[in-house]
Amino acid sequence: MSDLDTPLRPPGARRGRRTSTSPRLFGLLMFSPFFAVFAFAIVAPVLYAVYLSLFQDRLIGGSVFVGLRNYGQALEDPQLRAGLERVGVFLLIQVPIMLGLALLAALAVDSGRLRWPAVFRIGLFIPYAVPAVVAALMWGYMYGPQFGLIHQAGAKLGAQTPDLLSSSWALASIGNITTWEFVGYNMLILYAALQTVPHELYEAAAMDGAGEIRKALSIKIPGLRRALLLTTIFSIIGSFQLFNEPNVLQTLAPGVISTSYTPNMYAYNLAFNGQQFTYAASIAMILGGVTAVVAYTVQLRANRGERTR
Amino acid sequence: MLFRSSRGTGRKALAAVPAALALALTAACGSSSGGTPAASSKDALNAPVTLTFWSWAPAIAPTVKLFEQSHPDIKINLVNAGQSATEYTKLATAMKGGGAPDVAQIEYYALPQFVLSKQVADLTPYGAAALQPQYTKSAWAQVAINGGIYGYPQDTGPLVMFYRTDVFKKLGLNPPATWAEYQADAAKIHQADPTKYIGSIDPADAGGMNSLLWQAGGTPFRTTNSTTVTTNLSDDAANKVTTLWTSLIQQKQVNVTAGWTGDWWKAMGAGTYATWIAGAWAPGVIASTIPQSQADWAAAPVPQWTAGTYVSAENGGSSVAVMANSPHKAAAAAFAQWLDTDPTATQALTANGLFPATTAVLNSDAFQNASIAALGGQQANKVFADSSAHVAAGWQYLPFQVYANSVYGDTVGHAETAGTSLLDGLAAWKKQIDAYAGQEGFKVGNS
Amino acid sequence: MSATSTDQQAGAVRHTRQAAASSRQASRRRAHSPVHPRRSAPLTIVMVLMLAYTLVPLLWLLLSATKDGPSLFSSFGLWFGHGFHLFSNIHAVLTFNDGIYVRWFGNTLLYSVVGAGGAALLATCGGYALAKYDFPGRRVLFAVVIGAITIPATALAVPTYLLYSKIGIVNTPWAVLLPSLSSPFGLYLIRVYAAEAVPDSLLEAARIDGASEFRTFRTVVLRLLAPGFVTVLLFTLVATWNNYFLPLIVLTNPKWFPLTVGLNQWNALASGVNSGGALVNYYPLVVTGSVLAIIPLVLAFLFLQRYWQSGLTAGGVKQ
Repeated sequence: MSDLDTPLRPPGARRGRRTSTSPRLFGLLMFSPFFAVFAFAIVAPVLYAVYLSLFQDRLIGGSVFVGLRNYGQALEDPQLRAGLERVGVFLLIQVPIMLGLALLAALAVDSGRLRWPAVFRIGLFIPYAVPAVVAALMWGYMYGPQFGLIHQAGAKLGAQTPDLLSSSWALASIGNITTWEFVGYNMLILYAALQTVPHELYEAAAMDGAGEIRKALSIKIPGLRRALLLTTIFSIIGSFQLFNEPNVLQTLAPGVISTSYTPNMYAYNLAFNGQQFTYAASIAMILGGVTAVVAYTVQLRANRGERTR
Repeated sequence: MLFRSSRGTGRKALAAVPAALALALTAACGSSSGGTPAASSKDALNAPVTLTFWSWAPAIAPTVKLFEQSHPDIKINLVNAGQSATEYTKLATAMKGGGAPDVAQIEYYALPQFVLSKQVADLTPYGAAALQPQYTKSAWAQVAINGGIYGYPQDTGPLVMFYRTDVFKKLGLNPPATWAEYQADAAKIHQADPTKYIGSIDPADAGGMNSLLWQAGGTPFRTTNSTTVTTNLSDDAANKVTTLWTSLIQQKQVNVTAGWTGDWWKAMGAGTYATWIAGAWAPGVIASTIPQSQADWAAAPVPQWTAGTYVSAENGGSSVAVMANSPHKAAAAAFAQWLDTDPTATQALTANGLFPATTAVLNSDAFQNASIAALGGQQANKVFADSSAHVAAGWQYLPFQVYANSVYGDTVGHAETAGTSLLDGLAAWKKQIDAYAGQEGFKVGNS
Repeated sequence: MSATSTDQQAGAVRHTRQAAASSRQASRRRAHSPVHPRRSAPLTIVMVLMLAYTLVPLLWLLLSATKDGPSLFSSFGLWFGHGFHLFSNIHAVLTFNDGIYVRWFGNTLLYSVVGAGGAALLATCGGYALAKYDFPGRRVLFAVVIGAITIPATALAVPTYLLYSKIGIVNTPWAVLLPSLSSPFGLYLIRVYAAEAVPDSLLEAARIDGASEFRTFRTVVLRLLAPGFVTVLLFTLVATWNNYFLPLIVLTNPKWFPLTVGLNQWNALASGVNSGGALVNYYPLVVTGSVLAIIPLVLAFLFLQRYWQSGLTAGGVKQ
């Protein structure tokens, strides 16, 4: 603790009579309230779940210590693997589309070439405010194979629309809901980051006679690197934890979207319907591990790219 | 056809009787005889105590108020802790972690699970056995488990066939009395108008499939010695049911679609489905959700496998159980008993939309002669009561039916959606059930 | 505290204020001047299409709230049904079950004002500390925070319940409030934002002038971080307003429910999974209740974005 109390003064600082709180201690003090709440809300349940995952709680025979057996079982579980593969595909297709649209929207709103930019900024963000149960009602109405809006609109135009709830379309339909919900959210993060791009660069570009598109490509997007990385990482985490949207569509397409459609749904159904929450906890840990590895790899690659640039 | 469903949990409904009729009923039934509570339970209601009661049925609240009026010493803390599977998860978790109620509403299909884990109390010591004659046979059979009595029947859902009189009349058809006729009518209806079907089938509705198997004489789930479970989903009943429905699905004569969605309700209101095989609770749902079509609906006995016989089944229904760790078990048992036997209570429950489990209400003239607006004014309670009297005996649920029903959509529902053999779908379901049973420490019997 | 040191501190504050003001001045830009760009029609059309995509489902919801039960299932979704029932629907929502909706609304307000406000504040302090102070364990703690959010909360529901019931806060507002005070995402966002928006030179200048770290934070840094704070507040507000899983599992008594859990309960009754819910058509209640539940968030967003916009321009500082 001694180095904590040593005041850390920049060179040439005048010495005050009173020893003020050192910056390091101050940093720790500022961080600790967050961490205390975080420890209570997330770390403690995670640790408890890890502990529970070492047991098996059976309807006959009660609770037994099984060591890492739940993990062994999970690693060989074909349903978990299928779910992981599915969210992997989802991640590779949906995340680029969503972030591309969000980037386009952020640049458009920021460009000053749009009439009523505030309308778009608010309008695109509203879906993020819609609770899952409401989204279920709305998309049920949109996707319905008999009376759904998309089907009816297609019929009016004389086009045969596919059954959006069939096995070949379900993942795309889920991707659509996710995109709908989170485009505005990501746009907002990117837009906020755009505001910190130094304006001198714009002025220089304007003097060079650069158009809005060139400005976007050569100044804004490079300036958004960190924010894009942030949104990518969070979208990766979100994809691996995919739950609400497929769970909502499951009520509409129960024969297509199974209870193990995504790893998170699988863990949830095991815990809630099967009372196997020790096994569910081990699946949650594995899912967390996979997510962390992927997210970390992406971040590492991005940083390496930055260094070599 | 459609059975209720929600997210594959196969939750089951209670019953419904339109409100106007129900009010008349309350008045008319005043004289019917109630039960004589055992002396012990009467005493239990004399000491002041607060009981927590978990139930999600809207009919419960007004009935509980009546109880508090006649029993000023007892306070009932009525809590809607979630519906069906949500409540069961909370109940099981609360039994481990604390905060469990004294009394809880538990559907029949979920009750064996709580019996197995000894989380609900045997009511035999509180005089429950003496009440058997007051209930319908099928209702009582669902609370009498392993030699104990683990709850009082609150409501039931005898299986019937609701049908659209307009569709059948237009084609000059009578409602089908057998499944063979049902299949023939299915072809005619779809041929006359390709946008219409004889019914719909819900890929998430395990309860609906269970009722069909039950009605075909099947007993697919068996538990012996509490620890051995045997699942047979390839017996004669399973073969009959799956042959029929696989064919109907493959000929596109029934529509495979999730029930209770906006799309489905629109189709129900528009007459897309000519029949709906469901429990006697259905008229209330029709009246409240698609009242514009209520003049066109009527009820008939569920189609039979053998002409001239009458075999029915149950679809849904709940019991009221006392939790094993309640510190006020005697008072809780007495309250549960009052709720499901006292004439004031049973009439109030019926008046508020539940289909009765007690013979006193079922056989009363007011009930039998009521004309039901949701079914074009038909005196349909006669049909329902008749179905109730013909429910096949011997049905059992698994001691983990909540889980089994939750994976129904992954297996049988998947086959329905893909249009493949439902018998194979049932085989896949059995495989999942057996695997789970093994993981949970049961012995898996050979069927 | 001696007179000299007070003077010094006051001087430091003046100094840093000036520094902040001048850098703000320098970075101020009118919208996206210097050259005011011309409006672009193709871009506007693309964005209008995108807006239509996001708003059509909401239009359905809004129109549905004007319909009674029967016409909800018989009329075309994107037009009015028989008669205009919005006000009777609202009345029904507010009075159903002795006005339980109003109670849920109040609970949600409590959870989100306290939860989101607290979460944004804690994240701002913590994120700033991570960005600008090299305290012991900084890297490890940050890695723990980021690592922990990769574990899905849905699967932790049962362990969370068991844990909270051991400390006796299950079925109390604390079980919802305390966890919602933690926003790892907000922390991350502020850390990134503070790194850009708070110049190191400013902090050093303040130190040279002898201002305490806390005073610098309170008088200068907080203002620079305001846009980041408001952004995080917006996200935490939405997150707590729409929080569903945690309250579902840790609350059993409807009188503590937030709107999401209550609406879901109504929806479950509507979906026929019911039980004599049969006698009431819950669909109009769910639809109208949903509309009422979304409105405050939209209002909050409109209100907050004013601060957000002015704050962003002010905070658009970079070395």
